[in-house]
Amino acid sequence: MVSTVMNTEVAMARSASPFRTHKSIAIGFALLACLLALGALLVPGFVSSQNARSILLLAAFLGLASVGQTLCALVGALDLSIPYIIGGANILLPSLMVAGLPAPVAMIVVLILGALVGAANGALSFRLQGQALIMSLGVGFAAVGAVQIYTSLGSQFGGTVFAPVPDWLRNLSAFNGKFFGLPFPPVIVIWAAVAIGLGWIMYNTWFGRSLYAVGGSRTAAARLGISEFRIWTVIHSASGAMSAITGMLLLGFSGGGFVGVGDPYLFTTVAAVVIGGTSLLGGAGGYGATVLGVLVLTVLTSLLVGLGLSFPAQQAVVGLLIVPMVAIYARSPHIRNQI
Amino acid sequence: MSSSGIRQVTQDRSLFVPAGLFLVLLLAVAFRGQGLFTNNGLAGAILVATPLILAALAITPIVMAGRGAVDLSVGPLMGFINVTLITWLVGNGITNPVAVIAWAVGLGAAFQFVQALVIIYVRVAPIIVTLSGFLVLSGVNLMVMSRPGGVAPDWMLSWGAGTSVFSPVLLLLVAAFAVWGVLRRTMFYRNLRMTGADERMAYTSGVPVDVVRIIAHVVGGAFAGLAALSYTALISSGDPTQGSTYTLQAVTALVLGGASLSGGRGGALGSTLGAINMFLISYLLSTFNFGTVSGFVTQMAFGLILVGSLLVNVFVTSRRAVA
Repeated sequence: MVSTVMNTEVAMARSASPFRTHKSIAIGFALLACLLALGALLVPGFVSSQNARSILLLAAFLGLASVGQTLCALVGALDLSIPYIIGGANILLPSLMVAGLPAPVAMIVVLILGALVGAANGALSFRLQGQALIMSLGVGFAAVGAVQIYTSLGSQFGGTVFAPVPDWLRNLSAFNGKFFGLPFPPVIVIWAAVAIGLGWIMYNTWFGRSLYAVGGSRTAAARLGISEFRIWTVIHSASGAMSAITGMLLLGFSGGGFVGVGDPYLFTTVAAVVIGGTSLLGGAGGYGATVLGVLVLTVLTSLLVGLGLSFPAQQAVVGLLIVPMVAIYARSPHIRNQI
Repeated sequence: MSSSGIRQVTQDRSLFVPAGLFLVLLLAVAFRGQGLFTNNGLAGAILVATPLILAALAITPIVMAGRGAVDLSVGPLMGFINVTLITWLVGNGITNPVAVIAWAVGLGAAFQFVQALVIIYVRVAPIIVTLSGFLVLSGVNLMVMSRPGGVAPDWMLSWGAGTSVFSPVLLLLVAAFAVWGVLRRTMFYRNLRMTGADERMAYTSGVPVDVVRIIAHVVGGAFAGLAALSYTALISSGDPTQGSTYTLQAVTALVLGGASLSGGRGGALGSTLGAINMFLISYLLSTFNFGTVSGFVTQMAFGLILVGSLLVNVFVTSRRAVA
């Protein structure tokens, strides 16, 4: 029994070594370059500022939604509440603005609520560990149900909310938005800032290093005096907050609140994390890898759209490509080599 | 089934919570009205609950095999069998019951066989393989059939009438239980539990873990075929998208039934109780009238009940660890 435990730890330490991570990053870049080259060759108009802008815009939303999923994956959890919190934030914000709150205040309220729901999710699911994803699903259902009850008070439709969206919010994430006069929407800059900030936090703070420690080996992390519960709750709370932000930014993109807006993010966030090379078992990977995964996924989709594939066909092709892409760098050793 | 079932409940403490919840829900439903306990009410309940029960049964052996192998593809797989059944078989005039049932069960088993081979030989985490299966099949379903339509074979139309308790749909359920009952008595079942609990230990003890995983997937796939048949009977047509919703429902039923998603712990009885509990919760909520916000209250209450019963599960499990 002791040897099994030790071997597990050794295997995990090996998979978390810098070489493995860098290998997955290098392969990710190669994959991205291949896709871009293919797009440039096969699809007329693929290399244009229009297309680059639309790819980056869609990637920014997916990237912001994947922040929480990446953090959760690093400790071996999956957060299935993300699409529901995105949808909830997307209808709660306009409905609060209709109720008379100034937009910035309403946004702060939604952000805090998102973080609180995430924290509740983390605190409740901590003891469940392996089953935590079902708890996040339950919390997501409860949260989006409560928001819809609130938004439908006094109106017939709880799932869709129409309200005038302020111009600056629309400018933040609309396709033709301007960043200080430059021709791209500011949400791309927000995503880049979040990515850089998160990268710094993960590598230079006690919190970031503890996260990897917990994901790598719980026993060792506990010996170092790291509170597993605190880490677990904080990352779920961050996931809730980032989902709320994504939901609010999507409002600027679409112009009207719709509760189903988050649904595509249920499995695409997981796919982005996985393609990037972050292990779903925890301990290895990072947000930089997820950024690559998000870009690969978005460029691939754009390429497939350019080739004239319908949405179902795109989904099938992306699904087919996930296993080979992951197999390049994330194969586990044969069981006889794990003993 | 009942006497051995009761014995299982009293022996296996992970079944305490689902069994307790089942009794509470049954009392609550009885208190709310007699609708469920009539011939028609019961027949309708069996018709509606069977696809979910079978879907939960379909992922039970796969989850029990360990490695965190939550089978996300089960819902789209049901949808895939449903749409191919309607488009390819019935659309080409093949309505022979034997052919239809063989197609459903065979297709389910074949798909899961392929997934098992990918998991074993490509050696990627099972959840990634099944996520890939989920995306591929969700897309393919819409390519086979772009919108709901078609009709089920004539002989199947009477299945979905829901007028008699002893309908062929119940027969599907009984058949699945019979298969599971036989499997429980075989060496395979013991090997499955060992593999799920600790794969390395099982491997060093000489358990053919790869064969166990393949059989677990094939059995699960065959159950998914039965689930797809009962689902087709329920909607009497083809639907490319609704099948996918069964994935999250089935995983939820499994966890409500006391199974562990990390493998080793679980069983048909728990999954069935979990699925029936989910049906009873939505039935119970549908007896209340919340006016225009009804759908949202149902969603919120469902989420809260899920959270609550998972917390009770934790409480019972930790008590056991102390004792």
